[in-house]
Amino acid sequence: MQGSHSFASWLSGTPASLSIKSVSWVIPLVQSVHIVMIGVVFVSCLMIALRVLGVMRTDQPVGAVWRRFAPWMWSGLVVMAATGLTLVVGEPEREFDAVSFWVKMLLIAVGVGGTALYGRSLKAAAAGATGEFPVSSKAASILVVVVWLAVIFFGRAIAYDKQVWGALSPHA
Amino acid sequence: MIFPALIEAIQASAPAQWMRTSLAAMPVIEAIHVLAGATVFGTILIVDLRLLGIPDTRRPVTRVCSEMLRITWIAFCVSLICGALMFSANAHTYVGNTAFRLKMLALLGAGVNMALFHGITFRNVGAWDQNAPVPLAGRIAGATSILLWVCVIFLARWIGFTKGFDFQVPVNPHIDFQF
Repeated sequence: MQGSHSFASWLSGTPASLSIKSVSWVIPLVQSVHIVMIGVVFVSCLMIALRVLGVMRTDQPVGAVWRRFAPWMWSGLVVMAATGLTLVVGEPEREFDAVSFWVKMLLIAVGVGGTALYGRSLKAAAAGATGEFPVSSKAASILVVVVWLAVIFFGRAIAYDKQVWGALSPHA
Repeated sequence: MIFPALIEAIQASAPAQWMRTSLAAMPVIEAIHVLAGATVFGTILIVDLRLLGIPDTRRPVTRVCSEMLRITWIAFCVSLICGALMFSANAHTYVGNTAFRLKMLALLGAGVNMALFHGITFRNVGAWDQNAPVPLAGRIAGATSILLWVCVIFLARWIGFTKGFDFQVPVNPHIDFQF
């Protein structure tokens, strides 16, 4: 954590960081865009998952549902990465000194990799589909949704690192 | 201030005290509020885009509405409960906050827009349910809804940066500066 703390201190003094911090509305604005994108990404993932579970959009094949929502999901993630990076550069100490931030980053890696694998597995499963998906596909659907839920939770928890992690938090 | 006695009672209530004193309450309730709010926005966005003919007009409007609005209403109720809890903890500062007031106004606008759409435009949905462009009034309702819900999210985030807190700052705080 010490290394990331010195890096955060250095980043905090860079011109890029100073210009983000110097305008009071930049961080709230970027956070707002980040939250709007949570809606786009999370609901896109939820739609695909609910289709595989047979709860929704059963009038469409899974391939069509994937093609409808995956582009929104991936584009939304790109916007979230860009806005997220801006927030990190603007407030590096807030992020790097928070346990929740690192947990969130780890879960994002799991989420992105997992969702990509999930999409590929659906194509294979859909090829021999008799309508109903195997239990493994259904379990994977629930798992991806849960991972994104956790990402969202830890994202908000960054602001409350001491309360959430107690003595484990460098902010404590 | 609006209804000072009521605001006083809300802020003194047991849930409000729990929100102020419990360590986990605020982060957990706030995270659920963000998640539920984002779900409300995302599901409404699917309906609004369908009204605008995005991606196409093949799926019946009635089906898109009935599928989505189930999730929307559940998420809205969850969001409302969490929002009310957050409000109760600092009721005084919320009612006086401009971003909060504007957010309530935007929510009201979104509600009126939805009521007008479902009460008037939606009545002859049979004529444009599928494979036909939605009438202009419906498309305007869709675009207005997207705009208002984006405003709700932006104003909501603004509250956190402008509201301040409703408790006393300690007299001699111990501050660790890390240079």
